[in-house]
Amino acid sequence: MKPPAPILDVRDLRVTFSGRGGRINALRGMSLQIQPGEVVGLVGESGSGKSVLGLTALGLLAAASDPQVTGSVQLDGFEMVGASPEGARQRRGTAIGAVFQDPMGSLNPVMKIGRQVAESAGGASDEEVAAMLEATGIRGPAAVARCFPHELSGGMRQRVMIAMALARHPKLIIADEPTTALDVTVQAKVLDLLATTARERGVALLLVTHDLGVAARICDRIAVAYAGRIVEQGTTEEILDGPRHPYALGLLASRPRLDGAVRGGLLPTLPGSAPDPTSSVVGCAFASRCPAADGACLTPVPEAHEDGRLVACHHPGELTTWPDRAAQVIKAAVAESAADGLAARKAGDPRTPAVVATGLVREFDGRRSGMLGRRGPALRAVGGIDLTVPAGGSVAIVGESGSGKSTLLRMIVGLLEPTEGTVRLAPGPSPQMVFQDAGASLTPWMSVGEHLAERLAAVGMPKREHAAAIDRALHAVGLPVDAAARRPAQLSGGQRQRAAIARAIVVPPPLIACDEPVSALDVSLAAQVLNLLCDLRQQLGLALLFVTHDLAAARAVADEVVVMQGGLVIERAPTDQLFTAPSHDYTRELIAAVPEAVAA
Amino acid sequence: MTRLFLNRALAMVAVLFGLAVAVFVLQVVIPTDPARAMVGSNAPEEVVAQARADLGYDQPIPAQFAAYLGRITRGDLQHSLHTHNPVSDDLGRFAPATIELGFYAALIAGALGLGLGLLLVGGGLVGRVARVVLVGWAAVPAFLTGMLLIVVFYSWLHVLPGSGRVDDDLLLPDGPTGLLTVDALLTGQFALLGNLISHLVLPAVTLALLPAVAIARTLHASLEQVMGEDYIRTARSKGLRERTVLLRHALRNAAGPTLTMAGLLVGLMLGGVVVVEQIFSWPGLGLYVTQSIAYSDFPAITGTTLALGAAYVVINFWVDVAQAVADPRLRSA
Ligand SMILES: Nc1ncnc2c1ncn2[C@@H]1O[C@H](COP(=O)(O)OP(=O)(O)OP(=O)(O)O)[C@@H](O)[C@H]1O
Ligand code: SF4
Ligand SMILES: [Mg+2]
Repeated sequence: MKPPAPILDVRDLRVTFSGRGGRINALRGMSLQIQPGEVVGLVGESGSGKSVLGLTALGLLAAASDPQVTGSVQLDGFEMVGASPEGARQRRGTAIGAVFQDPMGSLNPVMKIGRQVAESAGGASDEEVAAMLEATGIRGPAAVARCFPHELSGGMRQRVMIAMALARHPKLIIADEPTTALDVTVQAKVLDLLATTARERGVALLLVTHDLGVAARICDRIAVAYAGRIVEQGTTEEILDGPRHPYALGLLASRPRLDGAVRGGLLPTLPGSAPDPTSSVVGCAFASRCPAADGACLTPVPEAHEDGRLVACHHPGELTTWPDRAAQVIKAAVAESAADGLAARKAGDPRTPAVVATGLVREFDGRRSGMLGRRGPALRAVGGIDLTVPAGGSVAIVGESGSGKSTLLRMIVGLLEPTEGTVRLAPGPSPQMVFQDAGASLTPWMSVGEHLAERLAAVGMPKREHAAAIDRALHAVGLPVDAAARRPAQLSGGQRQRAAIARAIVVPPPLIACDEPVSALDVSLAAQVLNLLCDLRQQLGLALLFVTHDLAAARAVADEVVVMQGGLVIERAPTDQLFTAPSHDYTRELIAAVPEAVAA
Repeated sequence: MTRLFLNRALAMVAVLFGLAVAVFVLQVVIPTDPARAMVGSNAPEEVVAQARADLGYDQPIPAQFAAYLGRITRGDLQHSLHTHNPVSDDLGRFAPATIELGFYAALIAGALGLGLGLLLVGGGLVGRVARVVLVGWAAVPAFLTGMLLIVVFYSWLHVLPGSGRVDDDLLLPDGPTGLLTVDALLTGQFALLGNLISHLVLPAVTLALLPAVAIARTLHASLEQVMGEDYIRTARSKGLRERTVLLRHALRNAAGPTLTMAGLLVGLMLGGVVVVEQIFSWPGLGLYVTQSIAYSDFPAITGTTLALGAAYVVINFWVDVAQAVADPRLRSA
């Protein structure tokens, strides 16, 4: 029997953009088919072209970057490459729905939810809108429909996006990092919602993610992208049981794992970086990073099908464990200084603690109901918390969204006035903050260099020394030196995050406070950033205070973990103890909710 | 929203007070002697002293300030030295002409600015030509534009009148508002209405041009920025027409900066009105204040300054409110 025609059929798709140093090769011959009703994960590190594939299928590549597209993208039999804007628009309206990463920015802030959903359906009554919202697990859908986006939590907004994507009964949904910006407990629910609704309605789903764990949770099939091509494709079991492409293996190995196998400061990372997108690639694009590379790898790689499983590699399956030599070497070096640091801490670091907070309480005014309505009761976001971060120590605060983590952090660094309680900081430069949404924390019209120079000037460093200090900071966070001249919009998401960290450490403060610093990054970048934070901590004697919903990240970085719920600390313990013997049900629940690709 | 409203209202009162202080200080530091200005430069010294005492200018400064504050809060702006009427009566007489002119100019500026801003976003040849023309226009001062319009439409083409509010041989409507177009409409005098509008066109357009250009450029800039936002991508992914995306999703989000700009432009227009009324012999506050300056008519000048300043502050208060209406995020702040 002939298989049904694929709903999305991408063949040898090549996309280039105009860039400063020549044209950027975003996709270098990508091919991918999705059958009706199939749930497929597209996984790969930052810059591998995942989002560009989705946007090409939607016909929404940024015109300002002068995209040039060759190859073919058939959406339900309709050729999107070279389609007229009007033709592409009509297809978008009927065949395809989209869910994007950032639920905060993806909804129109000045339009009520109900109207945005109704519009997506091409017109719908209030009852129909409520039904659509309810189908995505939103409680009180009629009330939610009357809200503006900023009145909803991130998880709710993403449910709204899903309702909108489903509104026109499309045959395919493209979800680009739909849960990256969400809290871990919400993440799992939203993923399951996407998968079950897609399956119930027979809608195909392309899940774009950098997290193999996320893909593994819901996908039938996983395609691994590298440098604009698919390098391996197979069923989820096949990929997880034993990737046959070295890159896929590396990707699997660099996932922070809950079992803490890689604790001690360093996660294995894929050494090196993807080929410069402006250059053309001879042979295998992964060759410079591949432990199994040999002379044959400099010849073009076939898209070989092996037992129906695609592995674009000259030596498929040869590598079975990721050696991660580079990481081993660094690890040994750092272990020594870490041991010193640890000994010092055990003996009681003579320095004053980076932070001593006592009895912190923060209340927010209750909301008014309507124009003249009565003010609701005050919301107690943080209900009396003591917290000490020793000099050079590392404390992670975990908990679901709304538990008060960020409020606590913001009080500690002085961004928010506590209602009650005191914060005592170590002398020296004021603590620096690294936010999740680095794009928003950088000023759009200032270059990265200017951001760093601003802090240097603030501590009175003479101008002529700025360039060297900026180079050092950029180097420390793994950004190219020419990044100094670029503005935030000219960097990728991962690069912006590193720029934000560079700004925080260009003048080393006694404390760096991070609010979800890696939740918007792909695994290998996240690993690099976590390693970077650990390194900086060792080298500069910084203390880290770390708010995260990613327990694996917390385990990799923190000495002590504080679990918050409803504005209160419900459990706190040294990291190992918390993970091996959690004493509170809620902690166990959090640990269980982590999507785990790797059978420990 | 109520909270925001009250906050802004409080701020408005504070600014109005500041304005009153500023005007008072100006009066004190200006080297001209208002008492002498009142009685004339040839009057004997005793008469000047008497006038000074009558006006309260012999009192210590704080006492003068208290008296001044008391007066202006009662709406007493003293008597004009030139017309000998209470300044408040004069303002009442001249203000409607200015309000009418300002209102139509603001309407034109808003509509023109909106249209041009959207045209610029559309890009294409028309947009690019419009852009060049706009940049050129922005450099031309209002009095030149006004003269040019008079030369073209009055002297050459004879299609529009070049001065006054109405033809001299027409009887003015004796309506309730003093805004002649409104009164003419209310009393059903349509021929008169046509005549009034023909007189309004040139001065209103002159007054509106600069603000229109500024609004268009601000709107264009913020629309460009908004069109790159994620929610615009979402709107496009729904398969909406580009025009719907622009008008329904982008425009309201771009309104904030444009409204702020519009508020600032009110100041520009109040300055412009003085010049434009001169050029078109428009019998409004601008003409009144220029004449008062010629006579060193201090009470009139102060009164007009206070009135125009207050208008600026009050209009900006409503601009703030409009912003909150456009952006729900401001409302909960
Ligand atoms: N509008 C654009 N203009 C110029 N270059 C772009 C544009 N969009 C993407 N690129 C480039 O195309 C390549 C692929 O980008 P893409 O956004 O698809 O990566 P991704 O796999 O989605 O990464 P991430 O996980 O960081 O989202 C990158 O080199 C990126 O810099
Ligand atoms: S082709 Fe060679 S370099 Fe490329 S992944 Fe396979 S073994 Fe490594
Ligand atoms: Mg992406």
